[in-house]
Amino acid sequence: MAVYLAENASMAVRTLSANKLRSGLTMLGIIIGNASVIAMIAVGQGAQQFIGKQFQSLGTNILFVLPGIAPEGPLASSIPAESLVLDDAEAMAREVPAIAGVAPEKSDRLRVTWADKDTQVDVTGTNSEYPSVRNAGVAKGRFFSMLELQQHQRVAVLGSETARTLFGDRYPVGAKIRIRNYSFRVIGVMAEKGASMGMNQDEAIFIPISVMASQLTGEDNAYTSPSLQSISVSAKSSENMSAAQFQINNLLRLRHNVKGENDFTVRSQQELLQTADSITGMLVVLMAATSGISLLVGGIGIMNIMLVSVSERTQEIGLRKALGATHKDIQVQFTVEAVILALTGGSIGIAIAVAGTVIFAALTPLEAIVSPVAILLAVGVSGAIGLGFGVLPARNAARLDPIIALRS
Amino acid sequence: MSALEIIRLEQISKHYGQGDLEVLALHKINLLVNQGEYCAIMGPSGSGKSTAMQILGCLDRPSTGRYYLQRQAVDSLHDDELAYIRNRKLGFVFQQFHLLPQLTAMENVMLPMTYAGLPHKERHERAAYALNQVGLEQRMSYRPNQLSGGQQQRVAIARAIVNQPILLLADEPTGALDSRTSQEIMNIFQSLNDRGMTIIMVTHDFETARLCQRIIWFQDGTIINNALTPEEFREFSRGSSRTAPTAATTHL
Repeated sequence: MAVYLAENASMAVRTLSANKLRSGLTMLGIIIGNASVIAMIAVGQGAQQFIGKQFQSLGTNILFVLPGIAPEGPLASSIPAESLVLDDAEAMAREVPAIAGVAPEKSDRLRVTWADKDTQVDVTGTNSEYPSVRNAGVAKGRFFSMLELQQHQRVAVLGSETARTLFGDRYPVGAKIRIRNYSFRVIGVMAEKGASMGMNQDEAIFIPISVMASQLTGEDNAYTSPSLQSISVSAKSSENMSAAQFQINNLLRLRHNVKGENDFTVRSQQELLQTADSITGMLVVLMAATSGISLLVGGIGIMNIMLVSVSERTQEIGLRKALGATHKDIQVQFTVEAVILALTGGSIGIAIAVAGTVIFAALTPLEAIVSPVAILLAVGVSGAIGLGFGVLPARNAARLDPIIALRS
Repeated sequence: MSALEIIRLEQISKHYGQGDLEVLALHKINLLVNQGEYCAIMGPSGSGKSTAMQILGCLDRPSTGRYYLQRQAVDSLHDDELAYIRNRKLGFVFQQFHLLPQLTAMENVMLPMTYAGLPHKERHERAAYALNQVGLEQRMSYRPNQLSGGQQQRVAIARAIVNQPILLLADEPTGALDSRTSQEIMNIFQSLNDRGMTIIMVTHDFETARLCQRIIWFQDGTIINNALTPEEFREFSRGSSRTAPTAATTHL
């Protein structure tokens, strides 16, 4: 059986290479289909890995507490509310044992100037624990201290991108910048973090939250605690995550006097990662399915040309039958031809996809990974397409009457 | 010559189509061919000789009647059984050679043995032997388009005899060749016949038929005379008012 198939395969290669142009054009659909399916999967998986790494850079044991109700669903964002206040953050730091650090965040997009430079930046008021909670390093100078926060000192730590925008190559530490016409002393520059979830983390300025509330957003009064956009919490270890999440939940329900639905949301890094993962996963499936259609079209192309080929080669078929080829012999011969066309096209497509992803990976920050699974899948699908779309032409060939076939 | 029976046709009829459109191609033909005979089938166009060849070649089945090949009834065999008979017992030579252009002479000759499932080494040896018999041992690796018409037909003959058939069927084997090349081809048939091969050949050409021992004359779907010697055929055709010898040759 193996010898029989091998002989058929070598005969098919001879036949197909006798008409290279036609064979090439026949394979085109499969080549394009395979190349795009594999490339899409490679790019998609690369994107997934990239996003995964981004989240890793945020820290693995982070919890985010957001104000408002977060509806279910991966893309739903929480409804804006002012239910989260600075007192909540302080209470969490005091009362939740599973927590290592708490960093409240209150931000606003504000105008920042230095000398003749002028830019709009997200200014975030936070506390001195921010670098450790968010796993963010300080590249130059230092982050502000608890004391500076308590003393309402106007000090600022710049994101690396913002430092470049304002100061260019100059050394920013020690300079005086103006945020909303208040003068701030630059005491440090954050290390580069890159973009995450569409937000450039390097385009930022961090100042003490006390200053943010009292001087920049003008919310400071004796009766209410300033509202926050979010509270970042780091658990003592990643095993403590669910305990921390549970404890924060209980504490805030008590503090907010919630009876029914929470007016806040606690999200873990894990959940955000899963959300992003499911979105990119969905995109990969969509893209692969779209390219899968071109594979199908390629299969139809093969069937089309094989049908033409059968009607052109009636004499050959008649002769083979006269020489003793059975129904099955002819059927196998033409099916093998179709399968070889599809497999060859598939292999060329894989080669193109691999070359393409290497180039893609070199030109973009995304890593493109051609997975062996994708290649095996593509080869299998190509073979199956050849087999499936080769059956009809091969059956037509096998059914030809040798007398009619030989008449010329 | 031994009297071993190769072919026996009993009351073979063949019709195509149905009802009013029915065409009767053969009408109750009887024929006996013994081993070692060298026969020419002649007759005007539409006389049924091509249909008869197709039935003899197991490419088609008779509508009625019995066909015994080597005393085996083959008129109602299954397609695959007929394919087996064609492969092992029959050899075909066609007017248009019908070689596969992408294969070498050697590979073309090996083709019937592929379907017989012989091991590669044996195929190679037997193909080389067959090509040697037709004088093409120097051209084994040539492709058909590198060979002359006569050489191509010799490859086709080698392919026909490589499975050692009991009967060689040739359909106008010299029809596409010039007279000198035709002579070469006929010499090969003669030498095969000298070694005991039974040959049945359809031809329009009296000069070709003259080289056979026996001429079978078809007309209107029946056999008018099934055992003429070339000399008798000359007499027969002269005496027949309906078919002069010129009538047989003008169909070329």
